[in-house]
Amino acid sequence: MKWWQIRKRDEDLEREINSDLELEVEEQRERGLSPEEARRAALRAFGNPTLIREQSHLIWGWGWLESFLKDVTYGLRSLFRSPALTAVALLSLGLGIGANTAIFSFLDAVLLRSLPVQQPSQLVVLGDGIDNGISDAWANTDLYSYPFYRDLQKNNSVFSSTASIFSSTNDVYGIVSGRDRTEPMKVQLVSGTYFSTLGVRALVGRALTDDDDRTEGKNPVAVISYAWWNRSLARDPKVLDRKLKLGDTTFDIVGVAPQEFFGTAVGQSPDIWVPMSMIASVPPKWGSYTDKRSESLYILGRLKPGVSLTAATSNINLLFQQMWPSYVDSFTTQKDLADLQKTHVPLTPIATGLSALRGQYSQPLKILMVLTGIVLLIACANIANLLLARSTARVREFAVRQALGGRRSRLIRQLLTESLLLATIGGALGIALAALADRFLLHMISSGPDTIPLDVSIHPRLLLFTLAVTVFTALLFGTLPALRATRLDLVNSLKDGRSANSSSAKSPLAKSLIITQVAFSLVLLVGAVLFVHSLINLNHVDTGFNRDNTLVLNLDPSSIGYMDNEARLTALYKQIEQRVAAVHSVTSASFASFTFGQGSWNEPVFIPGGDTTGAVNIKHNVIGSDYFKAMGIPLIAGRNFGSQDTATSQLVAVVSERFAKTYFPNSNPIGRDYSIGDPNSLLKMQIIGIARDVKFRNLDEPAQTLDYVFYPQRPQYLSNLVVRYTGDSTAISAAVQSTIHSIDPNLPITNITSLDEQVSGSIARQRLVAQLSTFFGLLAVFLSCIGIYGLMSYMVSRRTNEIGIRMALGAERSNVHWLIMREMLLLVAIGVAIGVPVTLAGSRLISNMLFGVPATDSISLISSVAVLLAVGLLAGYLPARRASQVDPMLALRYE
Amino acid sequence: MSTMTKNTQQRANVLQGTLDMLILRTLVYGSAHGREIGKHIQRTTNDFLQMQHGSLYPALHRLEEKGWVISKWETAPDRNREFKYYRLTEKGRKQLVVEESQWKQMAEAVARVMWPVAEES
Repeated sequence: MKWWQIRKRDEDLEREINSDLELEVEEQRERGLSPEEARRAALRAFGNPTLIREQSHLIWGWGWLESFLKDVTYGLRSLFRSPALTAVALLSLGLGIGANTAIFSFLDAVLLRSLPVQQPSQLVVLGDGIDNGISDAWANTDLYSYPFYRDLQKNNSVFSSTASIFSSTNDVYGIVSGRDRTEPMKVQLVSGTYFSTLGVRALVGRALTDDDDRTEGKNPVAVISYAWWNRSLARDPKVLDRKLKLGDTTFDIVGVAPQEFFGTAVGQSPDIWVPMSMIASVPPKWGSYTDKRSESLYILGRLKPGVSLTAATSNINLLFQQMWPSYVDSFTTQKDLADLQKTHVPLTPIATGLSALRGQYSQPLKILMVLTGIVLLIACANIANLLLARSTARVREFAVRQALGGRRSRLIRQLLTESLLLATIGGALGIALAALADRFLLHMISSGPDTIPLDVSIHPRLLLFTLAVTVFTALLFGTLPALRATRLDLVNSLKDGRSANSSSAKSPLAKSLIITQVAFSLVLLVGAVLFVHSLINLNHVDTGFNRDNTLVLNLDPSSIGYMDNEARLTALYKQIEQRVAAVHSVTSASFASFTFGQGSWNEPVFIPGGDTTGAVNIKHNVIGSDYFKAMGIPLIAGRNFGSQDTATSQLVAVVSERFAKTYFPNSNPIGRDYSIGDPNSLLKMQIIGIARDVKFRNLDEPAQTLDYVFYPQRPQYLSNLVVRYTGDSTAISAAVQSTIHSIDPNLPITNITSLDEQVSGSIARQRLVAQLSTFFGLLAVFLSCIGIYGLMSYMVSRRTNEIGIRMALGAERSNVHWLIMREMLLLVAIGVAIGVPVTLAGSRLISNMLFGVPATDSISLISSVAVLLAVGLLAGYLPARRASQVDPMLALRYE
Repeated sequence: MSTMTKNTQQRANVLQGTLDMLILRTLVYGSAHGREIGKHIQRTTNDFLQMQHGSLYPALHRLEEKGWVISKWETAPDRNREFKYYRLTEKGRKQLVVEESQWKQMAEAVARVMWPVAEES
């Protein structure tokens, strides 16, 4: 029988029993009994009809469900009976579970979820998979050249399949054939073996194959992502007839990747995959197919079945040591060769994918997960306390039920059902909140205008997590009150449900819950104060440049046919700078390869006659002549670039203060030379000026050894145009864009931002952590406040009688007031005493995430304690006042 | 009250597992409603077997579920009221044969243990 047929069955059974019972009655009457006697006799002979029905129900096997449904109905009724309590409980549960679900969905997406590929646990990457870009360093362990990949693929004996992937995506402004405008496309260069190594088959058409990747420039084919197919091509079924123009090469679309496949890097979903053989055709045409020293690829391998990570690591390292000596060139030094002996390539499993986000966010997410977990515990303690108070009020109900033969296990089950009900509604609220919070959080961690493509939607695994949390919380807050409520002294409870000396009035359990809450709240509060303090410190860091009243426009001349290092770029940049600077309200405009927080270009330089010998690594910025003006960076000494510095004149450079102090500590660097590359290099630079130190990659870095090079002397792609203006940014932004398009309508403006946004974007993570921890801290304090208020009010109402006696015996109102406040202060004090060592231990774990504030900052600790005390006083004040206003006569008569 | 309880205890309850067989056998005579079946079994055994209604109705429903009996609400010929009548199906008839032979084997086996025949031992 199915459970939904129970009701019909039951009706039928009732009718059947009634008809048979009726017959019995009739027969008894026919024997001459009076109607009443007949009925009684019939019942005696027949048995208890309700019992018969119940026995039948038991045999149907759905008894547990029926009693469960009854418990649920009863539970719902009793929840509605105390709406305020229910609302507080649901709100705190919803927030607690919601916060946990939201943070977990990020934790899952960034750290835990496996790639949607075949047997992801067999996949490894050479090195750590963290560096990205192009390197010509000797024996880099993260980045590899294409020839190295091919050699490794041929010679290794541990991978069943080997693939490589360009270490960053190329952001191209390409054209879908048949359209007249460019649109942004994230192109990922991969080896032909990429899809087969991952075991990913195309949804439409075919995936890339090794044949696409045999001859350089011969196979302009592309596989597109499902998301891009949907977004840009409206899921055109004839997608295989479409073409894409990237730079000046037209690519055939040969396939669409499956919907769940987003690539191998979490938080970075390419739109288009192109074989590595086309590396020289995809703007900005970085990297090389043949250069053994152009190290820009990650190498992925799928371990052969049965090959351990250790065995694979030793085989790969053996090959690494054999292959690199064959890459020796004129720049290789003896030291390089000696270093190679010591170089070890770790193999990193990438079952969960590569991710730059992971390095950045794994610690904050773990910390936030702990914080939300604590918030949920506090919420649980709160609800446990509320239920405890309510169950004490229901003592009589339970006594009656037990006296009538209700089994204790049955009562406990009913109370737990009520808790589960509460938790389930709270969980549903939590999921709704989490869905909202996820979108909000995604915006917060995405420092740019586009949100990071991260799948944080509500999926089965997440629901499972929430379900587990919900059941866990129900048990956590429901068990103790249920056990407490049903363990009772029947006679006493029936005689008097409200005994002044009942043990629950002292309720050590309730008090210890409050103490726990206070201790946990302190931990969260101190955490929040420390993170906010760090954020404030970061916001007050002197960047060295003026971040206000600027626009930063990103242009992409590579998409319209300009080549890197081409002298014609100089003319384009000069023209744009001059025209933009002439726009009304614009005070200066200049190109630069970097502004702030955009990474760096490191290069070794040789400083003859400097105080350092050998090559040193410095950072370069290639800029226009108005860069210092536009950025608001003061020159300390020497001169700026000017019209006298041309492509053919002496190469000149401005260096940072730190550069000057580090390499010319005792002399004036102006007029001195250094050379880029090696001592024999042609690029001999003369220092003409010193600029004030600036923050370059992030706010918490020390001053950098940095040089500025003039772009007419070193033409290359410069992606930033810095514009300083006065007045309204929107109008100027529009004017600047139209000016640029009046020079070349096809030149893509890929992004418009400001220095201020770049700076605040660089601390998005810290801001997120600070804001969330503040939210959680306040939530914790608020919940504790409700908890203290609830317990105090409850205790006051239980002690009305005692207070009445005290007052009748001459206690002052202030004495009574103090009596209650003292109790509350004691609880908070014990909570703080427990919380302080826990906080100190916990804050040590986050010390590396703090900036300019020690983890054991006493001011943060003291202010948090003060806040907790103040909140405790507030929460205890009202109940205490109510106690002191007890009328002794009323209170005594009350019993 | 207490005497009655005692009284009932002295009589035997229907043996576990034989109730189905007894019901099926009863229905061989024709369709009957729950009370008739109970009464019949009680009367035939001279009130030795006490019919517990709490197990009778579930047993009837179980048999119905297995398809050994079918039920229908019908008006009783002598009373002007509807009763739920149970009727044996073909499947039920076969089942009765099976249960009967099983019971026979069981009874013989028990008998051999309890009252061994001299020649055989």
